[in-house]
Amino acid sequence: MAYRLVEIELSKPLEAIEFAPEESGVGLIARWHDQLVGFEMIARPSGSMLSAEELREFADRHFAARVLIAKVEHELAQSAPPSAALSSLSIAICTKDRAQRLSRLLTSLDAVRKNSSFAAIEIVVVDNASTDSTTREAVERFDGIRYVFEPKAGLNFARNAALEAATGALIAYLDDDVVVDRNWLIGLAKACRDNPGAGGFTGLVLPYRLDTEAQIYFERRGGFGRGFYRNEFRNARFDNPLHPVGAGVLGAGCNMAFERKLLISLGGFDEALDTGAPLPGGGDLDIFYRVLRSGRTMVYEPQFAVYHEHRETIAQLRRQYWSWGLGMMAFLVKCRRSDRELRSRHGAMVRWWFVDQARALARAVRGLRGRDVNFGIAEVWGGIRGLAGEYDRSRSRVQAIRELNR
Amino acid sequence: MTAQSLPVRHIDLSTTHKDTHGGDAAAFSVFWWKDLPLGMRASLPEELPFGEAQLRQFAAEFGAAQLAARSPTLGAPLRATFEGRPKQALILAHLLGADNLVDQLDRLAAPSGMSAQDISVVICTRDRGEALAGCLKSVTTQQTPPSEIIVVDNSVDGNAKSICRRFPEIRHVHEPRPGLSVARNAGIRASCGEIIAFTDDDVELHPSWTAEVGRAFLDESIDALTGLVLPAQLDTPAQRIFQLDMGGFGTTFVPLRFDHRFLEETRPHGAHVWKIGAGANMAFRRKMFERIGLFDERLGAGAAGCSEDSELWYRMLANGGVCLYEPRAVVFHHHRRELSELRQQMRSYMRGHVAALVAQYDEFGDRGNLVRIFGQLPIYFLRTFLKGLLEGRNGRPETLTAEVAGWTAGLQFLFRSGWRRQRAPRLSAGGAGQ
Repeated sequence: MAYRLVEIELSKPLEAIEFAPEESGVGLIARWHDQLVGFEMIARPSGSMLSAEELREFADRHFAARVLIAKVEHELAQSAPPSAALSSLSIAICTKDRAQRLSRLLTSLDAVRKNSSFAAIEIVVVDNASTDSTTREAVERFDGIRYVFEPKAGLNFARNAALEAATGALIAYLDDDVVVDRNWLIGLAKACRDNPGAGGFTGLVLPYRLDTEAQIYFERRGGFGRGFYRNEFRNARFDNPLHPVGAGVLGAGCNMAFERKLLISLGGFDEALDTGAPLPGGGDLDIFYRVLRSGRTMVYEPQFAVYHEHRETIAQLRRQYWSWGLGMMAFLVKCRRSDRELRSRHGAMVRWWFVDQARALARAVRGLRGRDVNFGIAEVWGGIRGLAGEYDRSRSRVQAIRELNR
Repeated sequence: MTAQSLPVRHIDLSTTHKDTHGGDAAAFSVFWWKDLPLGMRASLPEELPFGEAQLRQFAAEFGAAQLAARSPTLGAPLRATFEGRPKQALILAHLLGADNLVDQLDRLAAPSGMSAQDISVVICTRDRGEALAGCLKSVTTQQTPPSEIIVVDNSVDGNAKSICRRFPEIRHVHEPRPGLSVARNAGIRASCGEIIAFTDDDVELHPSWTAEVGRAFLDESIDALTGLVLPAQLDTPAQRIFQLDMGGFGTTFVPLRFDHRFLEETRPHGAHVWKIGAGANMAFRRKMFERIGLFDERLGAGAAGCSEDSELWYRMLANGGVCLYEPRAVVFHHHRRELSELRQQMRSYMRGHVAALVAQYDEFGDRGNLVRIFGQLPIYFLRTFLKGLLEGRNGRPETLTAEVAGWTAGLQFLFRSGWRRQRAPRLSAGGAGQ
């Protein structure tokens, strides 16, 4: 079972897609004059084809409305006054023992960094306690990349090390399991120009490949997708009384950028979240939440896009859902302690989350969808564990790591 | 969410690139492109002022929706889905050559130069006192004056007469028999225009209302028109509950055609004709009344409760008529200020709704009307109740009991055989004059 990823340019005539025997569908990445406007998956029996006519009809239904908006927006933007020049940018990549993926990401960055509108660009690779030298060697094969070694294992240790080492006014974080879109920097530049004063940015996350059942399943269930519309987030929302506590709607930690000064003033990332294996989540929720609570805006920009390599096996994916529940609840427990003003919202969020999970589980049971049930249980179990003292356990683990590396 | 006052403000996105809101209070923003209404949004102080990019995004998204719904080259006009939402008909190939979209938007928003010579405006009122004056002022200051303005005074003693006297162009007709349908029918009989436009005594008209009604009826294929009803103010909790939790009088900003097919699609569930519009902003061709009769006097405020408008649309669609919903025709409605008034209103809405379903069942025999009474409505009550348990105020427990009470009260009409034998009165052809 595999889906082929196909890019289609909607401003040009569409061509039929033929499926190889091992392919059971297609993931369509749709662009309009190079601008990303949609992603859809179509299942097809292997060996069949999707005719140009079918593809056109599909595009009318799924992409045309977005294209029209893009056209109007483009016309309106032309009459807008020119905006100020952009500041300097640091791109931080935190990695551990994944030299091959790192090389892949650095290659994609090489292609986009050449002619950008930022005043200066530096790339900082934080080697997060890799066990051998392959990471360093991979970095050395590229030009002009700063290498920083962080002996304390844990993603948020690495993110803070990057924050300290970086010099740019803006710092963009990438995980090592992504590859950037060719317009990634253009998207970030656009977001910066359009939103002076924003504290941070998140972007679109598309699948890098859909080769296994687990990857297809994950993307079908929504993946990291946050859509193709720009979105602005502030400290409160009329249509969601729990906001900003449900900060997951903002985006994902594998593709985010912040004003560096702001992060420093907020005290950087919480090292007890996103610690790697024991608590592999919650760190992004926490930093989004704190930026919003500091009164600064966060902007989701779909052109600021990366491709993420999803978990390959069902077992890994199950663990990912478990870690979502764990991270979410560890984050909420932390918030409830540190931000007393919104305590009632944190409590309400915990309740809402469990009710929502229970509803999804009930639907899955009724539909006899065994896999959904399995993953649903994993997520709820993670949530229960997260609620039951995981944040404190993580804090003492992190303290031990700190002392070990003193 | 409905706790704080929500001043209504109007933003013209064709000229506004910077939001001047101080960010110190919540606001309900209504967006326009010149005179073309685009959309609305409620915001907390933290969400304000809107940034320039946010305003541009609003303009692009709302503008694109208008182009898709109004530009014939992009697939307009749109039919309504059974939910009363637009059915998208965009074709990518047509977008390729579509340029100067902002100019197109400007053209769509150009004011109507139509005369309102054929239009009789009918306003029914009952014991409104001084508040009526605001409504009448907006009717008499239309950019394009209608051929006549008739105020049907449904009070026992004709107490609106003194206010009407202040406006020499207004004709005062006294109809002491109680009931909104009775009053509206009296207005129709008293009028002489080819198009009869109705509004209520608790609204104010947009200055281009009559001109937009005239423009819409240029299309010979339509028999009736409904328009957009915006909130005049959202100062009290009752007003905010009605607008934000219950959807007010509709939230659609693109034109829609409601025809026989809409009726067929929704018939199994009682034909969702109430999604067509609101009695506070509607108009009909006189010929339509001649063909299918007048408002059913068993329904409406003062009788069963309400739904005299939707029952007429039902009859019209069942007889092959077409109603256009055109949000360019705008009125501003003063929602009920007090929670007790809102509860009273919801009770009579639901009572009238059940009565109309019974009446529709009797006339056309569609079992869907019964499905609505005994299936959909109880399920809706249960859902709202459960939602209230889970989410508190969002489930609006304030009005649910009133709605259930109204539904129960409405069931009586099923057992009143004399009531069930009555039908709407007819209008004799060419029947101008009293």
